[in-house]
Amino acid sequence: MTGFKLLLRRILPQLITLALVVGLISIMFPGFFEISLANGRLYGSPVDIFNRGAPVALLAIGMTLVIATGGIDLSVGAVMAICGAVAAWGITEGYGLLPTLLMALAAGLACGLWNGLLVAFLGIQPIVATLILMVAGRGIAQLITEGAILTFNHEGMIFFGSGSLLTVPTPIIIAILTGALVTLIVRRSALGMLIEAIGINFRASTLAGVNTRVLLVAVYMTSGLCAALAGIIAAADIRGADANNAGLWLELDAILAVVIGGTSLLGGRFSLIASLIGALIIQAVNTGILLSGFPPEFNLIIKAVIILIILVLQSPRVRTVLAFLSTARADAAGQEKKVVEP
Amino acid sequence: MNSRLLPLLATLVIFLAAYAVCYAQYPAMLSTRVIGNLLTDNAFLGIVAVGMTFVIISGGIDLSVGSVIAFSGVFIAVMLRDTGLHPLAVFAALLVLTTLFGAAMGGVIHYLEMPPFIVTLAGMFLARGMAYVLSIDSVPITHEFYEVLQRSYWLMPGKGRLTLIGGMMLVVFLAGIMLAHRTRFGTNVYAVGGGVQTARLMGVPVGRTTVGIYALSGFLAGLAGIVFSIYTSAGYSLATVGVELDAIAAVVIGGTLLTGGSGFVAGTLIGVLIMGLIQTYIIFDGTLSSWWTKILIGMLLFAFIVLQKGLVWTSGKRRAAGG
Amino acid sequence: MISKKALVGAGVLASMLMMSSSVMAQTVGFSQIGSESGWRAAETTLTLQQAKERGIDLKFADAQQKQENQIKALRSFIAQGVDAILIAPVVATGWDSVLEEAKEAEIPVILLDRMVDSSKDLYLTAVGSDLVHEGSVAGQWLVDTLAGKDCNVVELQGTTGSSPAIDRKNGFEQAIKGHDNIKLIRSQTGDFTRTKGKEVMESFLKAEGGGKNICALYAHNDDMAVGAIQAIKEAGLKPGSDILVVSIDAVPDIFQAMAAGEANATVELTPNMAGPAFDALAAYMKDGTMPPKFIQTESKLYTQADDPQAVYEQKKDLGY
Repeated sequence: MTGFKLLLRRILPQLITLALVVGLISIMFPGFFEISLANGRLYGSPVDIFNRGAPVALLAIGMTLVIATGGIDLSVGAVMAICGAVAAWGITEGYGLLPTLLMALAAGLACGLWNGLLVAFLGIQPIVATLILMVAGRGIAQLITEGAILTFNHEGMIFFGSGSLLTVPTPIIIAILTGALVTLIVRRSALGMLIEAIGINFRASTLAGVNTRVLLVAVYMTSGLCAALAGIIAAADIRGADANNAGLWLELDAILAVVIGGTSLLGGRFSLIASLIGALIIQAVNTGILLSGFPPEFNLIIKAVIILIILVLQSPRVRTVLAFLSTARADAAGQEKKVVEP
Repeated sequence: MNSRLLPLLATLVIFLAAYAVCYAQYPAMLSTRVIGNLLTDNAFLGIVAVGMTFVIISGGIDLSVGSVIAFSGVFIAVMLRDTGLHPLAVFAALLVLTTLFGAAMGGVIHYLEMPPFIVTLAGMFLARGMAYVLSIDSVPITHEFYEVLQRSYWLMPGKGRLTLIGGMMLVVFLAGIMLAHRTRFGTNVYAVGGGVQTARLMGVPVGRTTVGIYALSGFLAGLAGIVFSIYTSAGYSLATVGVELDAIAAVVIGGTLLTGGSGFVAGTLIGVLIMGLIQTYIIFDGTLSSWWTKILIGMLLFAFIVLQKGLVWTSGKRRAAGG
Repeated sequence: MISKKALVGAGVLASMLMMSSSVMAQTVGFSQIGSESGWRAAETTLTLQQAKERGIDLKFADAQQKQENQIKALRSFIAQGVDAILIAPVVATGWDSVLEEAKEAEIPVILLDRMVDSSKDLYLTAVGSDLVHEGSVAGQWLVDTLAGKDCNVVELQGTTGSSPAIDRKNGFEQAIKGHDNIKLIRSQTGDFTRTKGKEVMESFLKAEGGGKNICALYAHNDDMAVGAIQAIKEAGLKPGSDILVVSIDAVPDIFQAMAAGEANATVELTPNMAGPAFDALAAYMKDGTMPPKFIQTESKLYTQADDPQAVYEQKKDLGY
């Protein structure tokens, strides 16, 4: 089987789910697929799914790597708030676009470094270590903005939220570029395999000579960097840093995206593309619920049911049953027995 | 001395030391009023943390408890408002509901082999959504039985009150300690946490135990919901957001490992008291803005965890050197 | 075990501290909801300012938007023996038992900007605006401006289940009742935030023929309106003229929008609740004057005709 066919097989369940969700929405809402141009930018509900889903997609990239090492990062929402606050502060203090962006990205890297040191060198459990920054981080963000929404009008900064390149909105481009870059780095080098090794067995990897601690720190720093990008986009979108609400509970969506993408929470093999499709599925569900005008009381229940259905379909037991059924049919047709991955 | 008790003792020492520091700055913090408040204000958190301890010892996690508490409150309030049932009957119905809910989650986790994080996350959404459906607005509870419950307290010397809900939390902790160390169920929980495959080979009924653990967590979440409704005399669907994270923090501070297999219910009690102490200290100080409060809580959490790890590590080293 | 002597000693020390504090400056405990919006931050800043001006020692407790934290704070204030308590309650129910404890300890309680449903003898006074009235002022403005013209209105609600959201919705609907030219076609929650306001408005615009079907927007707070204005602009329409924008709170940014012609009207919710509260408290402490149970702050309507740029200059340094 070629590499492309293998990839397609891996992400097939996610693609089917996405198609189902989008199909359901378009049945309920006939004008869904209308795309036009407004202000030189692509405009339409499908564009909204990609555009609004860009922050979650970015978070999911970093989160995939962290979960692949067997950890979790609850602080990405707070890091978004911090970096958005730093970006807004920098631009309003007159620091110029490039220095401000560098400061914001550095803030994200610093947060990731903190998390990484706690997990890799102090041996604190990831869920607790990142919980600390989740609580304190929002406080830090509010400290920078002093509780208010720090607004700015810098054209260059706003471009990251409301601008477009060749009619494609900037957030989408940033998300795709970051995804492509990270995929290239982890798949074209041994890094991806080493990350998976850490997730499968930390001790064995260390004994085998992998520099596990440094790699762990690097993974958390990547997550922080992705959160910084997401934070800059979020702040640029509303032309202000809302430290109180930016990225609130977005870490849950990111974790869900990774899980829907099929990466196990216990660590090990991961797929960035599948996580990105997972992020799209979540945003499609959000958009669908918004468009349908359902009373907000039902939002959570619908989300819970969809999550359960998707996960039941992915559960190993159900897969085994399906595989059994399909091999039974294949046997009957006289074909060779297929081996299905657990 | 049993080396497994080390994290528990470390936590206890840290708690007493922290209390001493607070007392030095604010002598009023040693009054029975404050101690009584510590128990009453954190009663619902303590009860839910007992359930969380069992879940974490078994190597799992339960993110739904905060939403189940909110659902419980709304359920009780709406039932009391719309039907003529006595609160005790409503409590019984509620506890059956939440236990079955927990058991269902446990069943899905075990029989469909899905990660507890995600199943309980979906449970969290479901419970909160059901609470919204029952009532969007906050619903007050005005039954006379509630006033009886709220006025039951034991007056301690120094004008402090040990209220009914504070006492209930202590009773639940005692029961939890008994359950963990004196029953077969408790032993099974530790076994499952130590390694599912090993436990299965030893003959531990893993499926039944898993369902039982999450059912227990659901039961205690319902009980905590009852306590919360007594504490606030209302049902509110937006209440207790994020309480599951507070419970996890309390369990971890109490010395239980998130990987499962080791930990003490008593440690969780101290963890809950430590978190209550942090909040009381911040209020006594009264000068911290909203954001500095968040930063300080995060930093103190960090300090407690590092201290505990440090204490365990150094005594481990001393033992290795001496042994 | 702690000896009885130590306990008694601690108790004596505590009561001495309490007595000495009441002879010096007044100590007032303030339980604030949190810092979920710029308006809330302004309320906190102004309260701290007012306390400082009057020489009051203010103990500030932030509840992170949780009721249980506010109850905890109040009980802690009672244990510390403060002279009075200010509280901005996050929700209306569930305060009976803690207010009764305060009453037993003879500590007066004043409510800021939100009401509770406990009996009126449990608190000294409540300073706030009438949230329903705010909604109806906004609705009335729309009725007057339209003067009979047909109009489809979309509504951005506040956080589901919060009393401002419920009351402001009720007030608006009361004001437009009986005027058949005004139709509320879509109403969803924007959670009181800019991001959500923009996101929900985007979907409203797509669902209503690219926004051509929408004539007006009513947002429960200015932050959501500011976000929605950006969504309207990105869809190629003109906020303020193609789609009328009315909201509540009167934060500085909405005045900037009004000066640019992008917003039409806002109803003021003054963040200075503490001033009237401290005045009432001072009078009560001095000679026992009982203040009225509800001190209503004004819900002033601001439109584009009220020189928005000047108002913006005036408000922008208040800590919003």
